[in-house]
Order: sequence, then C-alpha cells, then structure tokens
Amino acid sequence: MSDTLAPERETRPAPPPQEPRRRRINLGNVLVEGRALVALAIIVVIFASLSPNYLQPDNLILMTRHVAMNAILAIGMLMVILNGGIDLSVGSTVGLSGVIAGYLLQGWDMPITQLVAYPPVWVVIIGAVALGALVGYVNGLLVSKLNVAPFIATLGMLYVARGIALLITNGETFTALQGEEGLGNTGFVTFLASAPLGIPMPVWFMVVFAVGFSLLLNRTAFGRWLYATGGNERAAELSGVPVKKVQTLVYVMSGFCAATVGLLLTADLPAATPRAGEFYELNAIAAVVIGGAALSGGRGTIRGTLIGAFVIGFLVDGLVLVGVSVFWQQVIKGAVIILAVAVDQLQQSFQKRRALRKVAASTNRPGSPSPA
Amino acid sequence: MFRTLTKATVALVGSIALAACGSSDADTSAGASGDEGGGGGGTIAVITVDPSNPYWKAEVDTAVAEAEKLGYETTVDAHNNDADRQNQFIDGAISKQVDAIILDPAGADESVGAVQKATDAGIPVFLVNAEISEQGIAKSQIVSNNAQGATIGAEAWVEAVGGEGKYVELFGNPTDNNAQVRSDGYAEVLAQYPDLELVQQETANWDRAEGKAKMEIMLRAHPDIVGVVSGNDEMALGAIQALKDAGKLDQVTVLGFDGNPDAAAAVEAGEMVATVLQPIVDGTTLAVQQADAFLTDGETGASTEKQAIDCILITEDNVGQLDNFVMGG
Amino acid sequence: MTAVTETPTEAAAHEGDVVLRAVDITKTYGVTRALKGVNFDVRRGKVTVLFGENGAGKSTLMKILSGVEQPTGGVLELDGEPVTLASTTDAVDRGIAIIHQELNLCPNLNVRDNIFIGRELRTARGIDYGREAEITRGLMARLEEEISPDTLVADLRLGQQQIVEIARALAADARILIMDEPTSALSSAEVEVLFKVIDDLTASGVAIVYISHHLEEAIEVADHAVVFRDGDLVADRDAEGLTLPWVVSAMVGREADYDFRDASRDYGDVALRIEDVRVVDQEGGGRLAVDGVSLDVREGEIVALYGLMGAGRTELMEALSGREPFATGRALLGDTDLAPYSIQQRIELGIGLVPEDRQRDGLVQLMTVGQNLSLASLLGSVRRGLVSRKHERGGIEDQIRDVRVKTAGPEALITSLSGGNQQKVVIGKMLLTDPRVLLLDEPTRGIDVGAKGEIFSLLFREAARGLAVLYVTSEIGEALSAAHRVVVMSKGRVVREFDPRTCTREEVMAAAGETGADVHHTKEQHRE
Repeated sequence: MSDTLAPERETRPAPPPQEPRRRRINLGNVLVEGRALVALAIIVVIFASLSPNYLQPDNLILMTRHVAMNAILAIGMLMVILNGGIDLSVGSTVGLSGVIAGYLLQGWDMPITQLVAYPPVWVVIIGAVALGALVGYVNGLLVSKLNVAPFIATLGMLYVARGIALLITNGETFTALQGEEGLGNTGFVTFLASAPLGIPMPVWFMVVFAVGFSLLLNRTAFGRWLYATGGNERAAELSGVPVKKVQTLVYVMSGFCAATVGLLLTADLPAATPRAGEFYELNAIAAVVIGGAALSGGRGTIRGTLIGAFVIGFLVDGLVLVGVSVFWQQVIKGAVIILAVAVDQLQQSFQKRRALRKVAASTNRPGSPSPA
Repeated sequence: MFRTLTKATVALVGSIALAACGSSDADTSAGASGDEGGGGGGTIAVITVDPSNPYWKAEVDTAVAEAEKLGYETTVDAHNNDADRQNQFIDGAISKQVDAIILDPAGADESVGAVQKATDAGIPVFLVNAEISEQGIAKSQIVSNNAQGATIGAEAWVEAVGGEGKYVELFGNPTDNNAQVRSDGYAEVLAQYPDLELVQQETANWDRAEGKAKMEIMLRAHPDIVGVVSGNDEMALGAIQALKDAGKLDQVTVLGFDGNPDAAAAVEAGEMVATVLQPIVDGTTLAVQQADAFLTDGETGASTEKQAIDCILITEDNVGQLDNFVMGG
Repeated sequence: MTAVTETPTEAAAHEGDVVLRAVDITKTYGVTRALKGVNFDVRRGKVTVLFGENGAGKSTLMKILSGVEQPTGGVLELDGEPVTLASTTDAVDRGIAIIHQELNLCPNLNVRDNIFIGRELRTARGIDYGREAEITRGLMARLEEEISPDTLVADLRLGQQQIVEIARALAADARILIMDEPTSALSSAEVEVLFKVIDDLTASGVAIVYISHHLEEAIEVADHAVVFRDGDLVADRDAEGLTLPWVVSAMVGREADYDFRDASRDYGDVALRIEDVRVVDQEGGGRLAVDGVSLDVREGEIVALYGLMGAGRTELMEALSGREPFATGRALLGDTDLAPYSIQQRIELGIGLVPEDRQRDGLVQLMTVGQNLSLASLLGSVRRGLVSRKHERGGIEDQIRDVRVKTAGPEALITSLSGGNQQKVVIGKMLLTDPRVLLLDEPTRGIDVGAKGEIFSLLFREAARGLAVLYVTSEIGEALSAAHRVVVMSKGRVVREFDPRTCTREEVMAAAGETGADVHHTKEQHRE
C-alpha cells in the first residue's frame, strides 16, 4: 500500500461541518419515497372510511399475506431493474417451482429404475428454489454473455418455463402435497402455510427477504456494483466492476425469489398447478416502479418497492372489500400505477432543475456581471 | 437423504441429480396405430384451447385417442383463445394438407374467418365445445349446453342451501363468453328465490389462487354468507380452501362447474355440493366420429350442423362414476 | 504570458456585407460556460475561418448558428433583423446549412434519401423520387464524385460519406454554409475539389464559415480569420497577413498558468512498457487505429501523448486499460504481461484509466461523490462480506482532501459538482486503487483553467511518490508545460518525442501533422 491509500487517519483534521447539508439531501430522498407512502396513506384512509372491516387486525394480516407474495417477487424484480433489465419470466418460474415441488412430493418416478423417490421436504424446497435460480441463471447468461435484450430473453423464458411446467404435470394439478408420515415427507404445507406468532409464513418470508436484500444492496460491494452498473455501465466497467457477473447474478436472484413465491403459493392453495403465477410479473414490475425505481436502472430501494407492493395489494383487496365493480377495479388499478409514476417523473425533473439552479448559483462566473 | 417406495422399498442416499431422462413414455406421441377404423390413413389436426387445463386436456386426449382408434394420424396445437394463433394453426393445417380439422374455436365471431379459410381449402372442419356465429361453413358444431348446465347446477345448489341467505359469485374471465352464459344460467334459477341475496360478484379469471384470494377478502366483507356459486371448478376450489382456512366451510355451500378431477374429489369429500360435467369426451368423440364418417361417406350422419349435448350434474350420488371427465358405468 | 494579438475589429467597413451577426452570444451547459459573450460577423461571399483548440467554443458557436442549440444569452441578427433559430429546419428555411463534424447521415438509407431527408420534394402523389435523384446526380457531378443516388450510405467509405454530407448542405441552396471539419476524412484530391466548390459558392455570394484543425489548409481557404480561446473570441484579421505563427500564437495565447517543466525528474524503473501495440479501428475498413506503438513510462515520470483527434491515442489508452478487445502486441506492467487480464484485474495489478468522456465513462451520475470515489476500490473496504463504512468513509474523506474536491460532503450528488471537481473525483477514484500507472485521456477537457492547474499539480505530486503517468492531450500548451516528456502520435503511430524544456510549439504541432509538414520524415527519430 502506498501512502496515497494509507494516510494517517488518526491525525486527520475533523471533517468540515456538513451535517445540515447532508440532512437536506436525505430529506430529498425521503420525499421521493414519500410519494408512494402518501399514495398508500390515501388508499388506507379512503378504504378505512368506506369499510369498517378494512383496518381490523385480521384483515390487515390477510391483506399483508396477499401483498407478501408480490413483494417477494418485486424484490427480485428490483434487482433486475436496478441493473437496467427486466424479468418477464418470474410468473412462469413461480409456476415451474411450484410444480416441481408438487411433483417431488407426490413421488418422483425416477427414470430407468423402477423406483419412486420421496425426498424429504427440505430437499424439495431446496430443489425447487435451486431450479428457480437456474432459470434465472439461464436468463442471466443470455443477457450478459449473448447480449440478448433482457425483454426478449426473459420473454422467451416466460414461455419455456411455463412449457416445462406443463410437460412435467402433463397439464394436471398436483394436490397430494401433504406427504405421508411413513415416507417422511410431511410438513411442506403445514410449514409453509403456517402462521408463527399469528403472522402468516409468506409475511415472515417477505420480512426476511427485505432485510436480507436491503443488507445486500446497502452494505455489500455487490450492492454498490449493482447500483453503479445500472447507473452507468461503462463507468462501472472502467472502475473495475465485474459488470457481466453482476448482470448474471441479478437474474439468479430474481429466479430465486420467484421460486420461493412458487413454493409459498403452492402451500397456500394447497395445489401445484402449472398455470400458477400467470401475469404475476406485471404486478411485480408495477410495485417496483411505484416504489420509485427507474426502469433505466441505477435507482430504487427495497423500502420503496415494499411500499409499492403494499400500494397495489391494499388497493386491490380494498376494492374487493368495498365491492367496487369488477371492471372498475381494473381501471382504478391502472390509473393508480400511471399516476404514481407520472408524479415521480414530475418530481424528479423538478428536483433536477432545482439542483442545477443551485449549482449554477454557487459557481463563480469569471467575466460575467456579478450579481450585486 | 430420502426414502423411496416401490414393490421393494429401497432407501436411497445421495443427491437428487440422477440422470433425469430416458423415460419411455411413448404413448404421448401421436403416431400411427393399427388401421382398424373405417376410413383411416389420413391426418386429423386437433386444435384446442389450453391443454394445461385438465378439461381441454381431456378434449385433446379424447380426440387423439379416438382418431388413432379410427386409424388417423393427429397433430395437436393450442391457441389459448388467441384468434391470431388459431389462424396460424389453421394455415399450418392447410399447408400440411390434413384431411380434417377438429377445432375448439377461439371466439364465436373471430373464428368464422379461420373456419371459412379451411373449408375453402377443401378441409372439413368439425367444431367441438364452442360454436361460431355462422352456420353452413363447418361440417358440424358440437357444443355442450352451458346454459342448461348452469341451470341444473344452480338447482342442486339451491336445494342444498335451502333457498335463503346471502351468497357470492365467482365469475370467470370476463372476456370469455362462457363466463357470462354460466352466470346468466345461475341468475335465471336463483332469481326465483327472493330470499337468496347475491351480495357480491367478483372475477377470479378462472384461476384457483385468485379465487382463494378474492374469497378471503369477500369473507371479510360478508362473514355471514351461506353459499358460493362459481363459474368453474378451479375458482370454486380456491374458495373452498379459503373457507377451510377461515373455518367456515361447514356453513357455506359451494357450487363448481366443469367436473374436473380435483372438483370430483371435493364433491366426494363433501366440500363441494355439486359440479357440472360438460360432456366434452362424448362431444369430442362424436366430432371425430362424424369427421371419419364425412371422410368415408361424405356425410356426418347427424341431422343438423349444430348439436347441443346436455351437461351432467355431478353430486355425491354419482361422483364415484366420474373418472377424468368421463362418466363410467 | 503573451498578450492577445489583436482586439476584435469594428466591422463597420464591411457593414453592408454582413449577412449574419452574433451579438454577445453566451452559452452555458450546466456549470460549464462554453461561450462567454461572443461578437461575430459572417460576410457575404467570404470564407470566415474559425481557429481555436478543442473546447475553445467553435463548435458550440456553430451549433447555435445552425439552430442545433439555442444561446443562453445574446442575439442573432440575420440581415440586420434579430432572429431565433428554433431548430435546424428553421435555420435551413432561413438559408443556413451546416456540414457537421460528426456525420449525421442515416446509414440505412440511400444517398438520395439522405440528401433530401426532412425536405423531401413532395407532389400530390407522394415524393418525387425521380427529381430528387436527378438533383443528387447533379450535386455529385459538381463534387466530381461518382456516387449513384441509389447507393446505401453504409456502403460508402468515410470520405464519400463526407461528400454526401457536403452535397446535402449544397442541396439546401444555403446563403450561409457552415463547414465543421469538412476535410477530416477526405483525400487530398477530394479536398482540392471541395476548395473549388467553395470558390464557386463564394463567387455566387454564399457566405461560408469554415472550421478545421488543419491550420495551413484553413489559412489557404480563408478570407477572414477569427480565433477562439476558452469561450472568447480573442483575435481576428483578414487574409492579408494571415500566417501560421499568428494563428498559433493567437490560439494558444498565453502559456498555461501552471508550469511543471522543472519538476523532479527522479525516475525509477520502467513501470509500463508498451511493445508494438496494434488496435483495429472499430469503425471498420480494416484500418489500424493504433499501428505498432512502442513506449516506456518510468516510475515517477509524466508523459504527455499529444496528437490530433483520430491519431489513435484514445484507442491506445483503452487497449492498455483492458477495454479495447481487438489489440495485439505486448503491454508490460513491471514484469507482468497484461494481455490475459480483465479491466478489474488490471486495476488490481495497478493500472487504471481516467477516461476521456467523463459523463459517459467516468461517473455514475445517480451516485454520490463518496460512492463514485470508492467505486473502484470497494473490495478493499470489505470486512467479513460487508463494506466497512468506517474504512470506506476514511478513504473517501482522505481523497476528497487530497485531490481537493470542492463538495458539500461525500453524500452530495456527483452531479452537484462542477466539471473540474467531477474530474477530480474520477481521478481520485483511480488513485484510491493505489495504482502504479495512471492513464488519463484528455484529463482537462471542458474544465476551467484553475482546475487544470490543480489536476496537474496533483499528478506531479503523485509522480513524486513514484506514480507513472501517461496522459493524452490535444492542447499544445498543456503538453509542453505539464509533462516530463511529450510523445507525438499521428495516424496510429508514435512519430516523435520531445523534451518540453527544449522544444518549440511549432515543432510539436508540425510533428502531429497540424501544420501540414510531412510527418513521415521524422519517423526514424522515434525511439523504441
């Protein structure tokens, strides 16, 4: 290490006073996320006034369970979107992982041998999740190594994964997921559909995923690299960031999240159907975008994404709860998504202009008439 | 480590990643079988909706089995109710010069052109499960009577509920014509019982997971319902799971539609009061037989082009005879 | 410090000839002031040549005159009337056309369509392709170029594409024709033809504004010369008495404020050895952008790589950084052959690049100053899988102080900094990786003079600690006052080396091919 890198830190003078400025910048960030929070607050207030049931603890837990599935998907989607990509295959991965779990629980008719294997539940879970990660890995390789546009690569995978799910089940639904004591493969449904401390398992998973991925994004080198590649891939590359590796990994993470949702959904029904998860990718993308992430990459947070998922979930369930007509539900949901993102864009261009003005004012201009 | 079960139970230790191929299930391929039927020797294109749904899977399996029994080769495509894809498959069938097409059409109006095109190309088309809005183009249109099915289902459900109380309805995909036909069929019967109140109608897009989620929320708004009528079995099964979780299944009577295997199991277990079986196997068999007759004799043998086959009510009493959409003896 | 040679003349004598006048034009990009109140006349039937180094403001002025951009302040007068040129179409409608430095052609369309794009000859029955083709053939005949109107532009070589660009401007029947580096891709025969066309045009009263880095060529064609420096118009004169020394001294003006020629020359071992590096030109044509370059840089030495745009300097830098994939030859960092290593590994080994385009390749605009600074060295702060905030923060704060970044703090957004401070962040980012060799591509582009001096004093301070520095520059004053050694590149080759203490500006510029002297006779002096 040369002396450029290891200066005498102990003796360095105290940093200049900068606390107030830092707080102001953070306030700006809070405002961006605050927009989604405001939307959520409005939704809660409206529905609470329309239905006395809305704010009952039982109902809040129920709606949060519905939110959790989309939130976990959205966390994975956020990773991809931060990278500037998109993952359209998550819905199919939900179906595929659920089907794989169902298939293994019903007994794996092993080829060649005349054996039917009954793997224990933990093997089923790990196998299904690993398969989801593998689907993501293929996406990642297509995007990073073969330079296939993310939209196209994952659109193709949407069909491939769904097709494989159909091939495995031959179009049928697996319902015998309880396992048998004698085979030692019980517990899949009872575990994943349980509610420790009164909180449903999907909600626990959402919390764990949110904390874990927050840590990943904010505290690890990978997280910083992800923001950097999404923000400016060329600059990141020249700074020594392994951009291709980062790009591949985000799809693996998205597949991992999708597979987890597949398991939770399968246990919830409880049935493994190859159609499970159809169009789930759209809600996940909407949650990420409502949460303030930029589809061009580099901007977005776990917190915002969670709020986005709550906005969608609490809105959809609220509309059902107060009995809004089926067709209006769709119109309202779409309008909220558009409104949230439009406000976001307005606010950003406003902030950018304000920042620019501030910089321009603070820079001294040699040769120009000085403002008295 | 996991256990295995076969004729001789063997314990396997190790990874799951054994060779994952080489199974010898050749029965799924649509090859030529023995030439035992009448005409035979040609190819029949089977174009269905969505084989991931057991209902249409039964349709395809029946068509393929019947055609092969009669000595035809088959090709199978699925258009997922997308008229454009249906068009492509029709074009493909024309260019392959198949001898006949068994088609489950994607939309009554949208499919007229496709059927016309095949007919113009000299390929007879036999419609199953759904009809098109014009007559005289297809050789036969064999549909199940959804309205009649909804009526018998609703009647059985009312009998179980007792003609009094609040109920909710799960509606199919709103863009699907059958969703409306079935809903109207239910309404027609239930309107005669003024003490039955439809408190909410929600769509769950034929989907089990959505059916469950919608039911969970509706139970919050209307905890005192006595019944659920559903446009299909999948949504009904989702609703049943939601009711089970809420501990309310014994106070709520659920009606399904389609008679799929999971629903049959639910009827048998007393969780679903009834479901309505569309005679898809009978209808499809009939369509293939009429295609064979037409190819051999130039006549379908049916008196009219449009043939409606009545649906069958599946209850506890007869569910034992139901096996994968087929009523056995 | 030499004084400005001449003050801008009062153009009263030519008042009647002025077709376009720029009055006190200013242009600001964010915090960069590209034009600082420029007064400038364009005269009928005359060729006005603009001189100035990169970033002096010429191209910005041309963009304003042709309606590509709007001025921040000041007025444009056309025939004595104030006008607003809202768009290029607007400018073309008023008879102002521009031949861009970067070709603005659609390669997927043919020559005819490119020439008439945006102003197609429309009839009631659609576009009159026949007449368009006829006019195109006429233009090509005038330019003495045998290009069929139906040829795809993608199939033309670069010089021919430039001819098409010129033809497009001619087709507009412009009264004022702006040529921004029109000859950069032309052969000398094609240049002859172009000059003949220019003569024709001026004879028929067209006003021409001409920009070229090729000084002698520009002097030849000029009726009037204007010199820009740092966003100001600093000198102008008529063709009479227009000489190369006058142009060069007006362009360079005073020497830089900084002068490091006497800095320590206490060199160590060879830190970077480049042997016969060749890089294929990505633009195609099988040309080599870098054609067998060999060069040594020692520890503690600062080498300036001087040359014109397109001399292959950037390609060489990218090849050394690991960015350019199609390179042959050897590059040794100490004893290590860099060939098998990725960008990331090369940074770990101790060689990193500060890229030419700060916004595109240097910064992550969405991140803070601190995050940008630590991006390349983040792995060094990882403790048990997580980034140690304390360690990261320490490095960032040290670097902010060391490279003197003027910022509200590490949490400030990078976009809130001025260009000079942004550049310091990019340099600081690479310094945080503890490099042995630092490559910089045009490190002072678009930043003010004060920041330039600070950046070079920073580099010399690091060099005194043993860092080897190789930087690319297009500014002669900078090359001569801020390097231990000046290496001149031209057309992909190293043509000559100079000691900045003993050489003259003219020598160096001549070697780079700027003044038309034959560069090849000096090749044997090129040291291995």
